[in-house]
Amino acid sequence: MDILSKLGGRAEQAEVFFVENEVTKVGFEANVLKSAEVEETRGVALRVMVEGRLGFAASSDMRAEERLIANALDSARYGDALPLHFPRPQPGVPVTTFDEQITGLSIERLVEMGQEMIDLVRAADPDAHVNVNLERGQRRAEVRNTAGAQAVVVQSPLEVMLSVERVRGDDVLILYDFFSTTLWDEDYLQVARQVARKLELARELTTIRSGTMPVLFSPMGSTVLGLPLMLGLDGKNVYRRISPMVGKVGQKLFDAKLTVVDDPTLDGRPGSAPYDDEGVPRRRNVLIENGVVGGFLYDLKTAAQAGVESTGSASRSLFSPPSPSPSNLIFLGGEAGVADILADIQEGLLVDTPLGLGQGNVISGAFANTLGLAYKIEGGEIVGRVKDVSIAGNIYEVLGDIAAVSRESEWVYGGLKLPYILLPALNVVSKL
Amino acid sequence: MRERMEQALRLSKADYTEIRIEQREASKVIFRGRDLETADVVIDVGGIVRSLCRDGGWGIATFNSLDDLPERVEQAYRCAKAVHGEPIELAEVPPSQERILVPLVKDFRGISLEAKKRLIESYNEILLSYGDAIQDTTARYTDRFSRVFYANSEGTFIEEERPEVSIALSAVAREGDNVQRGFEGVALVQGFEGVEGQEELAHQAAQRALDLLRAETVVGGRYPVILDQRLAGVFIHEAFGHLSEADFVYANPQAQEMMVLGRRFGGDILTVVDDGSIPGLRGTHKYDDEGTPTGRTELIKNGVLVGRLHSRETAAKMGERPTGNARATSYRYPPIVRMTNTFIEAGETPFEDMLRGIDLGVYACGMFGGQTMLENFSFSAAYAYMIRHGQIAEMVKDVVLSGNLFVTLQNIDAIGDDFRWERLPGGCGKGQGGLPVSTGAPHVRIQDVIIGGR
Repeated sequence: MDILSKLGGRAEQAEVFFVENEVTKVGFEANVLKSAEVEETRGVALRVMVEGRLGFAASSDMRAEERLIANALDSARYGDALPLHFPRPQPGVPVTTFDEQITGLSIERLVEMGQEMIDLVRAADPDAHVNVNLERGQRRAEVRNTAGAQAVVVQSPLEVMLSVERVRGDDVLILYDFFSTTLWDEDYLQVARQVARKLELARELTTIRSGTMPVLFSPMGSTVLGLPLMLGLDGKNVYRRISPMVGKVGQKLFDAKLTVVDDPTLDGRPGSAPYDDEGVPRRRNVLIENGVVGGFLYDLKTAAQAGVESTGSASRSLFSPPSPSPSNLIFLGGEAGVADILADIQEGLLVDTPLGLGQGNVISGAFANTLGLAYKIEGGEIVGRVKDVSIAGNIYEVLGDIAAVSRESEWVYGGLKLPYILLPALNVVSKL
Repeated sequence: MRERMEQALRLSKADYTEIRIEQREASKVIFRGRDLETADVVIDVGGIVRSLCRDGGWGIATFNSLDDLPERVEQAYRCAKAVHGEPIELAEVPPSQERILVPLVKDFRGISLEAKKRLIESYNEILLSYGDAIQDTTARYTDRFSRVFYANSEGTFIEEERPEVSIALSAVAREGDNVQRGFEGVALVQGFEGVEGQEELAHQAAQRALDLLRAETVVGGRYPVILDQRLAGVFIHEAFGHLSEADFVYANPQAQEMMVLGRRFGGDILTVVDDGSIPGLRGTHKYDDEGTPTGRTELIKNGVLVGRLHSRETAAKMGERPTGNARATSYRYPPIVRMTNTFIEAGETPFEDMLRGIDLGVYACGMFGGQTMLENFSFSAAYAYMIRHGQIAEMVKDVVLSGNLFVTLQNIDAIGDDFRWERLPGGCGKGQGGLPVSTGAPHVRIQDVIIGGR
């Protein structure tokens, strides 16, 4: 792992990113244990600065060090000249991301946990075919650079993905949910309870009219609104001037009920770490405060291009250069309880699982989604599941007027924490 | 390599074991606007061992270091022993030995990063030449050359070269808060020559972004819709292809009942096929990732369900023939049932005749993507036009179409005579990320489609 010294004087600056992961997985398919797996990953990425130009290369073949170095030097011949400096050693933000109780989980224990989840879901609906994938791992990422920084991040992720298929005649219902943590959580069954509850709510089928009505987004449904916002807050899209929020720091673009922060300092969250993937200390960034745009997320390169400081938001996989990315993106909860929000809706739609997330012209704020799982709300109550329904709008319009944001919020897909969000009037198109 | 793999296999204590090793070298050059994002080469080497203990289940080990294959075989066996599920059988497949080389006219491994950069830069310059309204561009060149070694304990050994070259060109036009994107691209199992001379794609992408600035958002509702070939291909992949993957039905009696062979899903005009053996397409391989020969599988014939896609495991469980559709995205994944090249067979209706019957409708073109929850699915057009009084009228944007398995296929009332294979980059994301697949179709007309909109 002595690539930096092997480089010698061939680069003015250099950075090595080294990953080493060990993951153990078990998989259940259609209620039955199907597979167990061990995964070992090793790889190294190298960035060099030669004559002020940045080059990149990566390899998972630990014996190909010389080719890695030659590839990085070759890459630097084409890189753009940039005033980029790899960071000096700095203390990382204090945060707990590792727990031996997770890395010590045996295959047998993972199997038990999966079986408990299946039993819980099947108790709610014996027709449910449940797939569960559980994995626990130890992930280690190390950044070292010629400025002397050595930043090590060790995490112990435990991830559960649970999905359910239920076929009744010609009615197909698919449900899924995720659970992830890096600190052992006794209440790992919450993901199964959540899915069981959705199955119960979806028991009755009903219909809804087309038209404009109040639409309540569950935490998972709120991803429809969160994804375009996430892209708009990416410093790269701001620097490239394609984010609708460019030049609008300090302006109130959204309803005052909307506050969004990126927080990598929370213990136990998969997006948390003392350093980002360039060895810059991570930090909490307030992006939208009471509807006012506060700032954007940057890595070293995008910050250098934009003439600002990195916000410690670099993220990378082995085979690509870093780019800015949220760690744990959080929409802060509001004051109303979700039960009270529901109780006030005479006729409306509850959106739980969108289809086609990320398709379309997302950066513009536009969304148009068929709904995989949605419910009709009538007289303040959820009265049944509706099918063949779709919604559309643009977040830069609809988030200007939010009727309510719930106190309660949930983690979605590991890295997003979202509340229930009620929009007073959105166009709903229904087949019936 | 063959000897090392076969030696390790001989040590296995499992009922069945396979090893797949992949050596990949890939390069990419990406421009964003005037900035070069990266020009780089990466090396990826790794492998997977998969073992089956018939009374238990699968054990899997994936790794980057190839130093100790016997230990990896032992790891996979230990995993398999820890699984106490239901008995698993594999359908019979005769062993094969073959070395599959793909000759390239201009082998991109011998082309300098400099030449790759020059090519993609020239396309980027075209995108940027469309004026100040073009706020941003992404011009991406990628190539990859994989060598995949596959061996199993039944005597199969296959070595296959898997080359791919692609370009993806995207222009973002902006006027105030109005941000629109036009994109084009091509991905081919070819050498460097495949992505040369593609200036026209850059012109199309930039012009479309500008045109979309002027387009209104479609008014939501139910319309008769004509899908162009590209969108019709995505439609059939999402609307039906995933339902025909046997891993959805093989362990679920209710799903089997719903997807019973002989059931009618569409009119007589509709025939849908998956064929992994058509030369030159991205979903094509002589063998799948279990060593089963690929071939033509009719899924819907004249409107009636006649077949489905199988791995060895799903075929054995359902007593059907393995179809060569067990595919893996990389050495990180075991093979699962996937499509290869999926298409709607050509019909007889000329495009003009399809238009003629529509008083108010939508002509939906190109694709942003699609997603399915099996009974319900959605797919989105990159751009579209209103159809008024049998004529193509103004451009509209943000067209997302919703479908229902039991309704939408039945509502197909015309199939064009203008079949085309698509060669867009990207792939199918089922379970394990982008796997190269192809889609093909003629123009298709569907009545009564839900389009979301304001």
